[in-house]
Amino acid sequence: MTIGRRTLAALLGLTLLFSFGLAWSGQRQIQRVNILMPAPFADATAELVQRFNRDHRGSIALRVTRGPRDTESISDLAISSLLLGSPPFDALLMDVTWLAKYAAAGWLEPLDSYFEPQEIDALVAGARLGNHYDGVLYRWPLIADVGLLYWRKDLMEAPPRTPDQLSSVGRRLMDDGAVNSGFVWQGRQYEGLSCDFVEMLSAFGGNWLNPQTGEPSLNSSEALEAVGWMRSLIRDGISPKAVTNYSESESLQAFKAGDAALMRNWPYAWAELQKPDSAVRGQVGVTLMVHNAGHQPAATLGSWGLSLLKGSDHPQAVIEAIRFLTSPDAQRERFRNQGYTPTDRSLFRDPEMLELSPILPDLEQALTHAVPRPPTPLYAQLSDVLQRQLSGVLTDDLAVDQAMNKAQINSMTIVEAAGGAS
Amino acid sequence: MNRRQLWISLLLLWSLAPMLWQLISSFTTTAALVDGGVPFLQRWTLIHYRQLLSSDPPFWRFLLNSTVLASASTVLTIALAIPAAYGLVRLPQRWLRVSRALIAGAALFPYVLLFLALLELARSLNLGNSLLALAIPYSALSLPLALLLLTAAFEGLPKDLDDAAKLEGMSLVQRLRWVLIPLIAPATASTAILVFLFAWNEYPIALTWLSRSEQLTLPVAMARIAGSSVYSVPYGAYAAATVLGALPLLLLVLLFQRQIVSGLTNGAVKG
Amino acid sequence: MTWLLLTPALLLMALIFGWPMLRYAWLSFHANSVLTGLVPVANGGANWMRLLADDRFWQDVLQTSRFALVSVTAELFLALLIALLLDQRWRGRGAVRALTLLPWALPTTMMALGWRWIFNTPYGPLEAVAGFVGLGPLNLMASPQWTWLATVVADVWKTTPFITLILLAGLQTIPADLYAAFRLEGGRSIQALRDITLPLLLPYILLSLLFRLAQAFGVFDLIQVLTGGGPAGSTESLALYAYFNAMRFLDFGYSATVMLGGFLLLSLSILLGALALRLSGALRPLQP
Repeated sequence: MTIGRRTLAALLGLTLLFSFGLAWSGQRQIQRVNILMPAPFADATAELVQRFNRDHRGSIALRVTRGPRDTESISDLAISSLLLGSPPFDALLMDVTWLAKYAAAGWLEPLDSYFEPQEIDALVAGARLGNHYDGVLYRWPLIADVGLLYWRKDLMEAPPRTPDQLSSVGRRLMDDGAVNSGFVWQGRQYEGLSCDFVEMLSAFGGNWLNPQTGEPSLNSSEALEAVGWMRSLIRDGISPKAVTNYSESESLQAFKAGDAALMRNWPYAWAELQKPDSAVRGQVGVTLMVHNAGHQPAATLGSWGLSLLKGSDHPQAVIEAIRFLTSPDAQRERFRNQGYTPTDRSLFRDPEMLELSPILPDLEQALTHAVPRPPTPLYAQLSDVLQRQLSGVLTDDLAVDQAMNKAQINSMTIVEAAGGAS
Repeated sequence: MNRRQLWISLLLLWSLAPMLWQLISSFTTTAALVDGGVPFLQRWTLIHYRQLLSSDPPFWRFLLNSTVLASASTVLTIALAIPAAYGLVRLPQRWLRVSRALIAGAALFPYVLLFLALLELARSLNLGNSLLALAIPYSALSLPLALLLLTAAFEGLPKDLDDAAKLEGMSLVQRLRWVLIPLIAPATASTAILVFLFAWNEYPIALTWLSRSEQLTLPVAMARIAGSSVYSVPYGAYAAATVLGALPLLLLVLLFQRQIVSGLTNGAVKG
Repeated sequence: MTWLLLTPALLLMALIFGWPMLRYAWLSFHANSVLTGLVPVANGGANWMRLLADDRFWQDVLQTSRFALVSVTAELFLALLIALLLDQRWRGRGAVRALTLLPWALPTTMMALGWRWIFNTPYGPLEAVAGFVGLGPLNLMASPQWTWLATVVADVWKTTPFITLILLAGLQTIPADLYAAFRLEGGRSIQALRDITLPLLLPYILLSLLFRLAQAFGVFDLIQVLTGGGPAGSTESLALYAYFNAMRFLDFGYSATVMLGGFLLLSLSILLGALALRLSGALRPLQP
């Protein structure tokens, strides 16, 4: 009797142990990958995630955390969890302007050992930029994005090429009564203004950071010329005064209603302009921002990409998820459904893709002229200082040279104080 | 309606209208929120509440977190403040005055300025993402007010009482337990409610100490809901969250109105 | 023994209030940012020089002071009226007191969202009213000139009950026979307000003024959720700027400098205010 009871107990113990062990090993096999993305991207990848999880059932469970929609808020969320240590995320969808900051803070895992040089070569020109810091690859691009000049095919034969041409075309069309404004862009005091500035600065041959020294050069003669031109657009009425409070959506609204002859905006605007409620449907072309002879045109680099966070338990699984989400098939799907610009060069020549959007060749051309905003960890502060002065010039009529001198001095102070120079 | 009734109605309108608007919005369909043309009978829905309670983590989780944290903070604060307040009253007059000035200074201090150092503290002591650990800074931040209120209460007691109990041979712990604490119970209750409210509502420290969504307290969760929608007008869900989050406080205030008023009265007189 | 009772509380307060200030003082003389790999490196007074020349800091000082002064003044005025009303005896007073207390009891972030919806263009009720009376779209949340007023309204709504409570407490300490005597001598009620109520209420008014000004100077929750500091930084407060420097720009040295600088300015203005009040003797004629 006693023996029977003991055996029973032993058996029970064994069964328990066994089932526990099974559960344990089962749990260990599944690698949980958590990626933080802004809400629109999380929604755009929902189907892909489902497919990935179906294909990797029992091995990898991918979860996309739907973060805030606003670029700043999602960075706040990521940074606060990183500062606390042991963040709940394995990877992060990153805006191009964050990369230097996150990499310098030591939060990102280098990706060089996971991606081959040929894979980088297969990317379209613009998508190759903004993924490295100090020569190390930290980000794999999910979508490409650059600034474009939208023009009205029904109002002009060809788009303007130089700043002067842009002004005169705009003026002529306004005088003819064809449009209310010549050119709409992003003049509000926010990041969009910095993006527009990078393009206009390049048009006059200037650089935000001096390429030799890496220091700000906001009071160069080229910069003064560029800002002077931006101000003249508003002073001469080629851009409406309201542009100083425009972000992308207001510019798009004006252009879509047929109120403007030219617009600076991102690729997403094109699909919007082809919708049935658009007054300019089928009459819009895209091209590069105007530039003076002898200088390179510039298209400010936008773009989002995935980065692997340091301290992830199973980097291989994370990389597999990143590869899946950035695969040509995934890009094709995102392009078809959401209109996100692909990063794979071959897709720009793909007949099916071209059918979906005739502007792909123009996009590819613009991507070859992509210019990143200064890849410094202090970018956010530098951009803020610049926006303040630019906005002052555009709205309060500050003198251009005084404002840009001030932007220059303030930028230098930030670089010196934050870098430890006394 | 006489003049006074008019003023009272205006006061109630000013105090309650914003919340009533939230209440109405929380039951309004997303379509009707942005379109006044939707017929009256088709404007109403429970979808926002259903969404809120079925989200991951469900909304009641934040209410629970806040309640647990606020309760823990209150208990810790009171446990520290009662002996300390008693000790303060026993200090020589000169010391008492100095410490009271210091404590009043701390009560005035805009504590949001502490967030960076407290974040460093959380990181180095590994207290991040631990809900109950937040009770430590919360107690410290509530102590100044608690001390002001409780010293005032102890000072209000006749001094002979304590001495008589001492003569009876009661130890300090016994005197506190059987004589003094029961006598300052009303002040303690008021203090506890004020501390509870503070801990329930605190935002900046919780914002920097918590990042895992299942740990969030109500104020942080609310702020996060704000940014995390793809819709430009996701206010139906916010409004529902506001209503659910306000209910416990409505109850609290209605029940303890008297204690809150008398608590601040005492603090104001002495502080 | 007495000290033993005090020690735990004192230690905890020293850790949470004292240590941060010392830490900030130390950090403010160091570069501790992404550029230094988040490791502190002494940089002399560079942070403080930067603070002096930082437009954004000084703009935020002005904006924060504007917010604090305007909202606290409005709150004090409203609270006085409400306290006088709630101090009278009438049926249902307890319930009304509790209901008017509610805005103060709710988490700031919660109603900040509510206000965002109320001020929303074009769907909020405020725009509906403005449209009805023909004021056109207000765009209140997008106007660098006017958005700060939205933050003031939200703050007045939320914190007036707090001041009301303190003033109510003060009113209850005034003996009723004082008024009776005054009326016997033929005084009018408006004179009673001037000659009895306000002088006796003055300590309470000053107390709430001091407390609220200090708190409003550190405003954070409301601004962060309602406007995020925008548009174009026009509602940014000092605390929010310090928060951005730490959490967004990863510049802890400068964040500490901003906080310490703001704190010094606040302490200085409170000291000066107290001194001026005492020197001018403004209080004397009001003393009973």
